[in-house]
Order: sequence, then structure tokens, then C-alpha cells
Amino acid sequence: MTKSRKTFIIILSTILIMLLALLFLFPLIWMIASSMKSESSIYNDLGGIKAFLPGLNPAQWGSAYQKLLGRFNILRFILNSVLYALAVTLGSVLVNSAAGYAFSKFDFRGKKILFGLLIASMVVPGDTIMIQKFQIVKILHLINSPWAVIFPAVAGAFNIYMFKNFFDQVSDSIVESAELDGASAFTIYWRVLLPMAKPVIATVGTLSFIGSWNDYIWPLMVLTDADKFPLQIAITNINNTQPVYMNQVMAILTISTVPLVLIYMFFQKYLVQGLAVAGNGDK
Amino acid sequence: MSRLGKRQNQAWFFLAPAIIVLGLFLFIPSIISFCYSFTDFNMLAPKLAAFVGIANYLKLFKDPIFMKSLKNIVQFVAFVLPIQVGTALGLALIVNKKRPFNMFYKVAFFAPVVVSLAVTSILWMYILNPSQGILNSLLAKVGISAQPFLNSSKQAMFAIIFLSAWQACGNQMIIFLAGLQNIPKSLYEAADLDGAGKWATFRNITLPLLKPTTVLILTTTFIDAFKMMTQAMIMTQGGPLNSTMTPLYYIYRTGFTDRQLGYASAMSVVYGFGIILFTIVQRKVTRADEGSGQ
Repeated sequence: MTKSRKTFIIILSTILIMLLALLFLFPLIWMIASSMKSESSIYNDLGGIKAFLPGLNPAQWGSAYQKLLGRFNILRFILNSVLYALAVTLGSVLVNSAAGYAFSKFDFRGKKILFGLLIASMVVPGDTIMIQKFQIVKILHLINSPWAVIFPAVAGAFNIYMFKNFFDQVSDSIVESAELDGASAFTIYWRVLLPMAKPVIATVGTLSFIGSWNDYIWPLMVLTDADKFPLQIAITNINNTQPVYMNQVMAILTISTVPLVLIYMFFQKYLVQGLAVAGNGDK
Repeated sequence: MSRLGKRQNQAWFFLAPAIIVLGLFLFIPSIISFCYSFTDFNMLAPKLAAFVGIANYLKLFKDPIFMKSLKNIVQFVAFVLPIQVGTALGLALIVNKKRPFNMFYKVAFFAPVVVSLAVTSILWMYILNPSQGILNSLLAKVGISAQPFLNSSKQAMFAIIFLSAWQACGNQMIIFLAGLQNIPKSLYEAADLDGAGKWATFRNITLPLLKPTTVLILTTTFIDAFKMMTQAMIMTQGGPLNSTMTPLYYIYRTGFTDRQLGYASAMSVVYGFGIILFTIVQRKVTRADEGSGQ
């Protein structure tokens, strides 16, 4: 009896959890399926299981994507998003690691005050001062410049803190022996410490890339030319440009999600590490 | 201290980029929020800005939309926090056990995290469309009549609460999972030898040892939830009847769309300080809690 009961429980729990998993997935399955069928069949299929399957004719699966690419300069938007995200990633690794190095291995006047200020700034919710940030961008004449998207995103107190923590754990004797060999402060940073910091670079880099890729409101504020828009803004524009075809909207939603699927697949472990640091530090 | 310490001036070379960026885009904006908040600064006529004292602050506490937005965000936080964190814990417990199809479950629960907020918002606008949305079609199958969802001032906020939790809880599931896997297996074996039941093991081993993780997740989710804006901006523009207007979105609308930077700055200051206060109190409480827990 116990064995058959066990089997029964396993089957029952598998069914329940499978249903739960499908509940989580159904919006995304519907999104992808709808991007692979004609506009009329999306509406016709709504009530049944067919809503979650692509169209019957495989030759038509790419047609919404093709029409979308014909109507909008999608490649341009993808390129913009990739360039912004890569620039932010590279910038934030360099800027934050350099600052972390300064706080960890130098002893300069005002260090304590500056570091205190940095830690305090972590509680400032940056989103509440977006319009004042916009005002600064305006004063600097950076409106509609890609720099307005990239610049503000390359320094973050939390990222500096993560690099500082890592460099603190690197023994000073390593730094000293490099110095005895005649290495300059920059060489020590560039050739000795930065190559050691690969895990932190991966964490900060991945977080920066995702943050930049997903950013919506800030680029919307500072960019005015459509050909400079990143994908996230292009999506809302496409969704508001008549005539609106649902299968094309679902296609652009799918396109803009694919790169993140890849990022999460390959860099997930570093994201968890970053969160672990956030949990241990910063108290 | 390293010998580099003697060359202290070189530190500024490494600090300069970060100081410039944080200075320009964090510190100066914070300071000018204060300055603008005592003026009637309008972006269209910056030269005409005049000092108005605390008039903006008096105005905002009588502004029905601002007060409504505060009420809305409290509602959002009060619901999204338990739903999102509770679901995340449940999902982590499910995938922590060895089961058939475990990898599939993990991927399924995590998948929505990969979708950006802009994509989430637009996708759910179609799902929730009252007349042609898939959700109402599916509800019709089980005999539930069509719901207005985002068109209703009663349902719109709850719709946003649910889709926000759907989008984000996979992230917290991963952190819970890491916490669960840090609990030594030997403790469970010992409990098993003592004949402890599943519930007793969960209450006396899993929950207490998961507490630091839970505190971390609760605090970060709590503060993040107060910043909700994108969903409301894309899906409902704060409506219907301001039922999904959030403070950050209202600040954006007043300061950016309507160009009343002076008045919007007063709101930035009040709301920003509110969040800072919450953050500090919360850290104090969790720290005191950790101290007594040892």
C-alpha cells in the first residue's frame, strides 16, 4: 500500500507543479506563439489550446517578423541597445574598479569622509531625482546624445563597494612587491589587481548590462531622435504606431527578450554572487 | 597600509571618474532638488523662477493626486511584498527537492525575470484586454464572466500587483534557493533520526536558518516596491481615475511632462526623504534583530 501511495503522491505533485509551471509560462508561450501566426488566427485561437501553438503552416512562422523588419528599422534599435549596454558595462567596470582600488589601496586626505558619503549615497533613491538629473543633462547640452544614456550609469556606490571589498582581500604584500619591481600605481591596478578581480567584474558587468538593456524611462527622457532609441522605447513606439498588428508587437517583444535569455543563461552564477555580497556587506 | 599610501595624490586620478559621475548625476541633482523646491521654477520659463518659500510643500499636502498616489503605493507595497516573497519562498521549496522535471520547473519559474518591465507591461496589456484578451477568453472557459481589469479603477492596481509579482518573484526564488542550500544536510539527518515530522523540521530548522535570507529579500523588495512607475506609466498612465498613479510617476508627470520643476522638486524631496527614512529604520531594526537573535 505504501508504495502505491507514494507513486500516487509523486504523480499528483508532478501534475500540480507542472500546472503551476505552465501558469508562469503561459504569457511567454502565448507571446511567442502569437508572433508566429497571422493576425486573424491570433483572435480565432484565443479560446483554446491553439492560442499557445504557432500557426499551422511553418512557412508563415517568420512572416510577422519579416513585415516588422520591413516597417521599422529594428536592426538599428537592436544595435543601439547593444552599444548602450556594452558602453555602460565597460564604463562601469572601469570607473567602479578604479574607485574601489583608490579606496582600498591608498591613504589619502578626506578618504573617510568621502567613503562615508559614498555609503550614505546608497540610500538615496536615484529615481526620485530623475527630473533634476535631466536638468543637469540639459545644462551640459547632452540632450539627445548617447552620452546622456551612458554617462550617468557608469558609476554606482554599490559597485564601487563591491570592488573595494574584493581589493581589501588582496594582500598588501602583493602590491608592495610589485612596487619594489618598479610598477606604477596604474600598472598595479591594470596588470595586477584588475586581472584578479574577474568574479567581481563579471558580477558588476552583468548587472550593468541588464540594467542598461532594460532601462526605459531615462532614455525616453533624454533621447529625442527615433534613430537613437534603444529597443525598450522602440517597443512602445511600435505598439503605438498605427496600424498596430498584434503579431508584430509580439514579434518585437520576443526579439527584445532573446538577448537577456542568453545573458541569464551564461552569467546567472555571477548574479547570485552579487546578491550574496549585497547580503553580507552594506549593513 | 601599503606603500602606495605615500603616494596619496595618485588616488584622485583613480577616483576622479566616479566622483565626476556621482557628483553630476547624484549629488548635484539631490542638492538642486532642495533649491528648486522653494521656487516656482518652470522649465519653459527658467528666468522667471522666483522664491516662494514653503508654498510648494504646503501645496503638495493638499494635492489630492499626490495624496492618492501615496495611498496607491502603500496599497501596492502591502500586497506585492507578501505575494511576491511568499510565492518566491514556495517556489524555492518546490525546486529545492529532487523531483522529476526539476530543471524545467526552475526555468519556468525564473523565465519571467528575463522579461524587461517595458515588455512585461505591453505583453500584459494584451493579455488583460477586456474584449480581445487571452485571460478573459480563458476565464470564459471556466465560466467566469469577462473582467474589465485595467479599465476598472478597482481592479487596475491589483492587476499591476499580480503581474509585477509574476515578473520578479523568480529572482527572489533563486536567492531563497541559495539560502536553502546553505543549510547543512546533517541538521536534516539529525531531525530525521529524532523522528521529527516534515512540518516540525520546516518550522524548527528551515525557517530559522533561512531568516537572514528572508530579511535580505524583504528589505530589498520593500524599498524597490516604493519605486514602481514603469508599469503604471505604460499600462494605465496612472488611471483610471488616478487609481494606479504612483508618487514617482506623478513626480515625473509634474516635473517633466508639465515642466513644473519647482513643485515636482518639493515632491522629490518629501518622497525621497520618506524612502531614506524607511531604509534607515529598516536597517536599524534588522541589525538589532540580528543582534538579539544570536
